[in-house]
Formats: sequence, C-alpha cells, structure tokens
Amino acid sequence: MNAHPDLSRRAFLGRLPVVTAGLAVPVAAVAETKGPHWAMLVDTRRCIACQACTIGCAVENALPEGDFRTVVATYAVRTPEGRTGLSVLPRLCNHCEEPPCIPVCPVGATFKRADGVVLVDGERCVGCAYCVQACPYDARFINHKTGKADKCTFCSHRIEAGLLPACVETCVGGARVFGDLNDPESEIGKRLKAAEGRTRVLKPEAGTQPRVFYIGLDDQLAGRVAGASATEMMWRPTHAGA
Amino acid sequence: MKISKRRQFLAAGGLAAAAVGYSETLGRVAGKLLGRDAPRHKTAGDAPAPEYRVDAQGNLELNPKQQVSYTTCLGCTTMCGVRVRIDKESGKVLRVAGNPYSPLSTDPHLPMKASVKESFIAVSALKDKGLGGRSTACGRGNAVAQQIDSPYRVLTPLKRVGPRNGGNWVPISFEQLVKEVVEGGNLFGEGEVAGLRALRDLETPIDAEQPELGPRVNQVALLSSVNDGRDSFMRRFMNKSYGTLNVFGHGSYCGGSFRSGTGALFGDLKRMPHGKPDYANSEFILFVGTAPGQAGNPFKRQGTLIAKARTQGKLNYVVVDPVLTHADNRAAGERGRWLPIRPGTDGALAMAIIRWLFENGKIDSHFLGFANAALAKQNGEPSFSNATHLVVVEPKHPREGRMLRASDLGLALPEDQRYKDGDAFVCLDAAGKTVFHDQAKAAAQLFVDATLKVGDQDVRVKSSLQLLREEAMRLDLPAYAEACGIPAETLVALAQELSAHGKKAAVIAHGGMMNGSGFYNTYALMSINALLGNVNWKGGLVANGGGFKDDGEGPRYNLEKFPGMVKPSGTPLGRNVPYEKTAEFAARKAAGKPYPATAPWFPNAPGLTTELLAGGMNGYPYALKALILWSSNPVYGIPGLRTRIGKDLADPRKLPLIVSVDPFINESNAYADYIVPDSLMYESWGWVAPWNGVPTKSLGARWPVIEPKAAKTADGQAVGMETFFIALARAMNLPGFGENAIADAEGNAYALNTPEDWYLRGGANIAWLGKEPVADATEEDIQLSGVARILPLLERTLKPEEIAKVAFLLTRGGRYQPGKDAYDEENAEWMRNPLKPMCHLWNENVGGSKNSLSGKRNRGCGTWSEPAFADGTPVRQLYPAKDWPLQLTSYKSALQNPYSIGATRLLAVHPENPVLVHPDDAREFGLAMGDRVEIATPGGSLRARVMVHPGIVRGVAAFEHGFGHRELGARAHRIGGESQPRDERLAAGVNLNEIGVLDPTRPDKAPWVDAISGASVRNGLPARIRRV
Repeated sequence: MNAHPDLSRRAFLGRLPVVTAGLAVPVAAVAETKGPHWAMLVDTRRCIACQACTIGCAVENALPEGDFRTVVATYAVRTPEGRTGLSVLPRLCNHCEEPPCIPVCPVGATFKRADGVVLVDGERCVGCAYCVQACPYDARFINHKTGKADKCTFCSHRIEAGLLPACVETCVGGARVFGDLNDPESEIGKRLKAAEGRTRVLKPEAGTQPRVFYIGLDDQLAGRVAGASATEMMWRPTHAGA
Repeated sequence: MKISKRRQFLAAGGLAAAAVGYSETLGRVAGKLLGRDAPRHKTAGDAPAPEYRVDAQGNLELNPKQQVSYTTCLGCTTMCGVRVRIDKESGKVLRVAGNPYSPLSTDPHLPMKASVKESFIAVSALKDKGLGGRSTACGRGNAVAQQIDSPYRVLTPLKRVGPRNGGNWVPISFEQLVKEVVEGGNLFGEGEVAGLRALRDLETPIDAEQPELGPRVNQVALLSSVNDGRDSFMRRFMNKSYGTLNVFGHGSYCGGSFRSGTGALFGDLKRMPHGKPDYANSEFILFVGTAPGQAGNPFKRQGTLIAKARTQGKLNYVVVDPVLTHADNRAAGERGRWLPIRPGTDGALAMAIIRWLFENGKIDSHFLGFANAALAKQNGEPSFSNATHLVVVEPKHPREGRMLRASDLGLALPEDQRYKDGDAFVCLDAAGKTVFHDQAKAAAQLFVDATLKVGDQDVRVKSSLQLLREEAMRLDLPAYAEACGIPAETLVALAQELSAHGKKAAVIAHGGMMNGSGFYNTYALMSINALLGNVNWKGGLVANGGGFKDDGEGPRYNLEKFPGMVKPSGTPLGRNVPYEKTAEFAARKAAGKPYPATAPWFPNAPGLTTELLAGGMNGYPYALKALILWSSNPVYGIPGLRTRIGKDLADPRKLPLIVSVDPFINESNAYADYIVPDSLMYESWGWVAPWNGVPTKSLGARWPVIEPKAAKTADGQAVGMETFFIALARAMNLPGFGENAIADAEGNAYALNTPEDWYLRGGANIAWLGKEPVADATEEDIQLSGVARILPLLERTLKPEEIAKVAFLLTRGGRYQPGKDAYDEENAEWMRNPLKPMCHLWNENVGGSKNSLSGKRNRGCGTWSEPAFADGTPVRQLYPAKDWPLQLTSYKSALQNPYSIGATRLLAVHPENPVLVHPDDAREFGLAMGDRVEIATPGGSLRARVMVHPGIVRGVAAFEHGFGHRELGARAHRIGGESQPRDERLAAGVNLNEIGVLDPTRPDKAPWVDAISGASVRNGLPARIRRV
C-alpha cells in the first residue's frame, strides 16, 4: 500500500513549505466582469484542526488514500512571550490571479477560468509534474491513481451546482468562508472588508496574488519553539504582572 | 518573515503527518509520470456528481441516482445528526456531512417546521445560506463510513474453532447459533456448557448463605458500550425479560471519575446528573482535563461553539491539562490559554481556588444562603445548595458524616421514612435557631460549628459550607502550588478571574479525571461552580435539555412495562453497594475484624464494568457463568485488565460461555465462543439524546438509511442485536417479546417480532409527546429524505394516523426543540431546562461511607489528596519517583476513537501515536525525536516511538488513545478456512491500557481504580523510559 506515510524523523517534523504571510490586497481584480469570482477566506482563529476539511475533501473528491488537496498543518509553537501553543495553517490551492503553474505546463492542461478557479484538464495532463514543482505553495501533487496533476478545484463541480465546496460545508469551527469576491454583499466580501488590514495571503512576494485569504496568520507564524520548558510554558495572567 | 522549519516549528502531536502526505507526493513524481486510470471527469476528477443542484432562484433539482438522508453518526459517543449521501445503485455511502436540524451538528439549528427541501437549500451556496447554516461532520465523522465496507466486518454468525482467542472461526447458521446458545451442550468438545435457558434461574439463590447476592440468573452478564439509541431494547431483553441485574456500559473506563464527582455535587451517585458551561454566553471557562476541540462530548458542538466564542463572543478560557490540545489556537491569542498541570493533581488547583474564594469573601453568599429551591427562586436564584444544611460531625455518633435530619430533632416519621427525602435537613436561621430546610423563609447561616441537643445527647454539627472551608484551609496556597506544579500567583489569578465573572464563569472537567484521586479532584473542581452560584444561569453551568422519551409508558405505546416483566434483584457484580450490608461483613465483624473486605466495594459508584470481570471470573462475590459482549471492548479499554484476566478469559472453565454481538472482532470478543453480527452506523435503528451540552431538548433518529449488510434470518430480517435477542426470547418463551408484547394506550396488544415493531412505536411515542404532536411529513419530505425506502415498514407497523408523524421524525433525523427556547420564558438570564438537583457541598452518602479495605471514613466534600491506591496508600509511597521518574498520561485523539482504526482515511492523515516526551525529559533520558523506547510501569512494558514535544508538562509521557490495536484488523483471523486480509497499518502505535497498573493494596490484585468512583486510572501511572 502506498497510502501509508513513512514514519521517519522527517515525518515527525513534517515537511513545511517556506511560507511567509503578507498583507492581502483583496481587491476584486476582475471586478468589471459580470460573473462571480470565487475565493476563500480562512479565519484561522476558528480552526480547531479537526481535519474535517481534509477528510471531507478526500472523500468528496474520491482521492486515493494518502493524497490530499487540503490539509490543516498543525504546529506546537513558542510565542515571543514564551508561551507554548498550537498554531494551525489550513492549506489548499490558492487559485492565484497569477498562477505560476500555468505557464510551465507544456500541454496547456492547467488553466484559470473566468470565475477565478484554477483547474487541471485531466484529459490533457501528461503528469509531467512541472506544475507541481512550480507551485510555491506545495498545493499540487500527482494523483496516485490517475497519474495526473491534482489539486484543489474549489469543488468546481459543487459550486456549479449551487453548492459549497466540501471543506467549507464540513468546517466544524466555521473557519472557512467561500464566496464571490465580486459581490460586496457576499459573506466573504463583508468579512474581508470588516477585516481590512488584518487579512493575509501566503507568500505575497511571489507575486501570485492568491485568492485564499487568511485572518490570524501573522501572529502565529512569529513563534519559536526552541528550548521550551514547562515553567516557561505556563500561562500567567497579564494583569498579575507576569 | 521567513520560517525555518527546524528551529521554529515542530509538528504538533495530534497531526504530525498531516503535512507529509500532502507534500510527499513530490517524491513520487518520478515514478508516476504516466496515467493509469484516467479520471472520470475532465476537471473534477473522480468526484461523483453532486447530490442535487440549487439554482440562483432557489429551485432544487435532485440527482435521481443519489439519496440524501438524515440519521445519526456513531463515530464516537456524541452521536451527531448527519446527512448521509448514498449512491442508490450500489448502496454505497458517498459522503457524510451534518444534519442541519441537529444542534449537535449545526449552530443555530434549523427549526423542525422547515421542510426537507428547505433544509437542503439551507446548506447550499444560495445567498451564502450554507455558511451561516453550516452543518458539519468532524474528521472522524467524515471517515467512518468506510467501516461499513470494511473487509473485517463480521457478517454471519461465527463459532470459534480451537481455543479461545485463537483467531479461528467457522460461520454457522442463525438457527444453529440460537440453538447452541440457548440449549448449551458439549459445544466445543471441551465438556458441557450450560446454555442461557438453564442459566435463567430466577428462583434459586446463588448462595443460600448470602441471599443478598440474588438469584442465579445474575451469573449472566452483558457489557455494552454506550447508549447508541438501542440500549433500551437490549435492557428490555436482558433486565426485564431474561432477568439479570448485571448489565453495564463503558462509563467506568471512560470518564467515570468525572461523572461520579459531579454526581456527588448534585447528590445522585447512581444517575450522576451533570452539566456543561453555556459556551455561547460564558465569559470565562476553566477547563480541567477536558479540551473543547480536542475531544469530549459533544465533540463537534463544543468545537464549533468555542471557535465562535473566542472569535466573536466574550469568552476567555484556560485549559488545564498535562498536554497541549486543540483547544489552543495561537491565532485567537490570549482568548484561550493552556496551563500545564501534573496528572492527578487537579484537586490541589481546585482547593487552592476554593481557599482563595473563601479567604477573600468571593463566594456567592446570596445564592448559598437559601436552603431550598422555592426560597432561592423567590430571591432570584434558579438553583440552590445545601451550604447551610448541618452535618453531624460528632465522633463515633452513628450518624457521623451524615446530614442532621428533622427526625433527629423529634419530627415524628414512620421508621421506614426516616433519613429519606421527606425527612428534612436542618439549618440555623439568622437568630441561631434550628429550622428545617424546607421551611426556611430567609437565608440561613452559612458557617456553623455548633453543638445541638439531639434527643438527650449533645451532638456537634457543622454546616456543609463550614466543612468545605475547613477542608480548603487545611493546606495553604504554596502547598497547593507545590502539589500541582502551578505557581501560587497563577492559582490566585484563576480564582480572581472566576470570581470576577461570577455567574458568567464556569468550571468543567472530564476524562483527565481518570486518575488516582479522580473522584475528589472532580468533586472539588465542580464545587467551585456552586461557590460561584452559576448553576442554571445563562453563561454559567447549565443542564442538558434532554431528549424525548421513546421507551416509557408513552402517549401511544407502553414500551416500559409488560406482563411477566422481571424486576432484577441482588448484588451487582461490580460491587457498587455498601460492603457493610453483606453477609461477608457480618461474618468478619462477628470474627472481630470487619475490614478489609476480600476486594473493594464501591457504594458511591454506578455499575462498574471495571470491577465486573476480575471479580466475576474469580468468584467474588459470585462467579460469572455467561458473558454477552455487545459492542463492548473492556480488554482494550480498561488499563491493566488484559494483564489481570487475559489468561482467565481464555479458559472456558473460568467462564463457560462468551457470546458477542458486534460488527467487528475486537480485543475482547476475540475471546468469544460465538460472535453475532450487528448492524453498523447508518444501518441501525435507534433514538438517541445528546449526552450533554445541548441546552434544548434534542433527540436523534437512527434508521436504516442503507440496507444492513449482515446475513438475513429465515424470515428476511438482518441478523443483529435486536433479531438475536428476539430469537433468544422466542426460543426460551420469555415475556415481553413475540405476539401481544406491546400494549397501546387503549390496552390493545401488538407484536414485537422485528426491530421496527419496537423503534417505530417508540417513534410514535416521541411524535406525540409535548403539548401537541409533531406535524405530518409531506410526500415531498418523504421522497427527498429517502424515507420512501422504508415507508412500507411504517405502513405495515404503525396505525394510519401515526405514519406521517413518525415519518416526520425520520425525514428530519430526529426531534429538536427550537434553539431560541434555551432560556427561561420569564427570566432571560435563566435556563429553561434547569439542572434540578440541589448542589451538595457535602454529600452524606460519601461522607457516611467507609473505605472497605481500611475501614477509614471517606471525606464528604471536595478535597485534595494525592493519588492513592484502594486502601488509601499513596502511589508514590509504593512506586517512588526515584524508581519511576515519569508519569504516564493519556489523552483522547481528535481523530481516532477506540473502534475507528479501520477507517483508513484517518490513518492516512495520522498513522500512529508516538508517545510525547518533554524536551527537558528527552535530554535527561537521552532521547531524540523518533527514538524507539521501552516504557515500563509496575504493570508491564511496551515499545513505542517518542516524539519530543514542548506541548507537555515536564515529567510526563503522554499516549494518545485509539491506537495499539491487536484486533479490528490488526490480526488476520481465519473464518471458514479463509484468512482475512492483512493490513499492518491497523496495528500501528501503542495502547496505554496494555501497561495499566494492578493495585498492590488490593487483596485481589485487580486493576487500579479510583477508590470512590471505581473508575479506571490511566492518568498518572508511575513509569520509566529507556531507549532501545
């Protein structure tokens, strides 16, 4: 079975993408078009790392076991104040406005639709994995079963049916908000506006203009874990002068 | 802001491998260049077509090839309402999400009056409805449907071949199964085995010398897991029809010490009422040994509410636990914080807080002064306590440790009514005069230490509150801090925080209390709620709304009673009755040495599975002759049990007959003589209320939304628990089953020959409860919800006027009170469904009891005492830190439960459970990330992989529960000569319970349990570790 991740030390540490978080610029880049422009907002404060999204996605999309289009990476971190805590990073394809995966595809299998969704045409894809390597977010992989490039589709088959992506439907903490960036009255539109200045995207310097936005990403990524001891991990109330 | 993966981050314990599977594929690229199986759809891959479409105008278009039905999950004990999406042609479950009518899956949940069509639209993208109305399944809930198609399912009755636990079976017919189990005989060529018919002796005492043990039928026991909505059917057979007393669930090895400690606070140690914080309105919650978002019950609802409250609400919270959990989220900043504590020392934390509240005048004296419910209510308090009630503390007085009663002061009562409910408690009024609690017209004195004339005797009495204060003042804050490892200033700050929020603060605990002083730790912690006066207040500690009763003397059918019903009697095998009432005690007392008993007794505990097997297999207080395991796995779940009785279980002379009803072969029924298949998940019937945490009335419906996979009986019913017990009842001609077994409200009789005879009539009872019956399901509801599939069963079983109403419940997956009804109609700050029992700051049943080994009196209030064995000997006295430098603790997984290992999608995310060790301990013991180690306790040793992890308190190693299986697929059994497939993934990791500690102070050397609650100890096991 190839579905069993290895248990080496590497597995314990987890392979992390080099991510940085930067201020998001959630302007509707294609506001002049009429149709929707799909995007996701992840309010990480509401994530409980239950992996409902991870498994709901895998089941909905009938992925081979061991392949994931989204995961919630979960870390024990030390904050600058010396507290040990849990940080979470729900990850998926960013459905970038400038997707680096598209130009590298030799057969034109990867494309971005007018509604913002980046997809792979499985009939064209030859599984060369150039796109997998080009993605700065480690969001793509070669599907174990089909041998094709695979990644989050925002559950395009569901949104076309007027439904929500599986991960959003089943998000227990209510962290994942999906909707139309072009509609200022949409839930995502209102939330992005309310959180203006506090939303982030991953690796803004890559110039990809992700359409997956985060709230609560900056602070959690500032932590260090080295040398944590039990006493330092203690919670101390701020008003007690600790 | 570049992040170095080595220095700044460690993958957290729970989900170490999550990131791996995601990125690991890079490494596979080279070998996977060519497509194998083309995806079904050009861009959507292998995803099946959606279940329905909702257009921009809100029109619903069904996918005729799929069915969407609302039923109940069984991925853990929460039993959330789920929507199951099924491919009609194959019968395969495509995916599972939440039932929007169910508050266990949705916040806020849909009102029942919404049609099924509206419920489908409510979770769609139309106008973003599905974001606010989101109805979810958790990670496990998404995965466990896989179990239905597991190659390890038992689908036909099995009979063992060769020795017990040999892994060799032969399929047999249902008829042969029933015949052999009922009639017995030389079933295995090992000698005669008594069958259930012979064992059902309701007359002959087990021991004529000890008539209190009851009739011989008690030598047949059934162990179940959890009430999955089918418990009352099982109990109808086992207790009321077959007639044994010995039917117990899994509580004593789950969270029993929490339940018992809370039961002490609410004065009922058998039913153990309990509450939860009102997450939506609390301002400060102290979680101890429980972590919302990590596990617990209701798992998902707690996670949803805590996520919302810390982001949008007013809530701040602290989670006190030896291990960092998913309750923490740094993105939420200081709203939620983790406070590490040493295992088993929560009572020190609690008593420190209690001491500070007393010393600083921060107890809620207003609430505590009112001695009865009516007086409290008149004064604006929705609950009351016994703070002012007097306790006899006179040494050697026959009522020492018990409440002073009206009859003690001369109130005339017939002798058999003395010291019962009608015999009032006594308080001192402001003038210092005695007053019966039910006649108090004003606040009574809180702190009393006085000598009263009782009869012609001077008797010293103290108020309950006085006793708790004295107990708290026994140690000072530095001593409490030293015990639990939390600085005194932090303990003070917690007390300040709690008192600052008063009735909008709450303290709650759970599974972390499974330690060597778990009962008292819980009692102390939960008593803080009473001192804050928060019970039944919006934002305080609030009651579960409860369900709608299906199995009572209902408005449509009497499912409670039947002619010939047996009332079981005798001594339960778990010995949860007073030792002092046994013949053994009388004999020992006569001999001048009443203590110790042969093994401990637990008068303040509920039924104890922890104690039943070790006692029953060794004939104390009597021998077990037959055991039925219904989805029960005590050998996996009870620490130390395998070590203690593994050999005995394998020996048919010790226990002649073991029958299991289970969809799988687990660590316990691997020892069975017969295994009967059972329905699984969405194949089953049932009516099930939330365990707690839902303030409104709520009842989930389970109904076979898919066809059960098990073999069919001759009359076409799927083999399962119900059909098995019906067949046993028929074969033995027992009451309560067969023709004319169920009476309706008019006295007409109906048959109980099939599961639906029971569950659909239960549904009719539910539908008619309350002011008026529920509405009728529409034709559209029935079609859209898949209930059409079983409509013929409803038509065949129910009265015409009942069909559409029971269908209404099934179409919506249950019955649910509207969410807006959570609060009192007249006082919006009070809960509508209150916790009715009085808060007991002193519990006389505990305070009046003695330890059956030492003969020492038990303390009747919350207290701190270090973890101890059964006779009160501190654990560290026998297993000192110099020999056993570590303590082992367990924590519940956010993904695995004890029976979900076969859902391999979970393993793909999180393949094993490395043992967590603090970095400083790793340094001390020379361990590095990923090392193989041997971990030993006085109860045994095992080998594990370590994860060096800062999210754990120093000196502790932590095991995540749910791994380390020997069965459920970890071993390939042979069935009818064919071997099951091998899948080594299912054997991954370790199980702490394999190295549970046996109690050296017990004459019977049985597994270590809490001396009061009888609940397993799996937190704070003395241990050592070395690299191998």
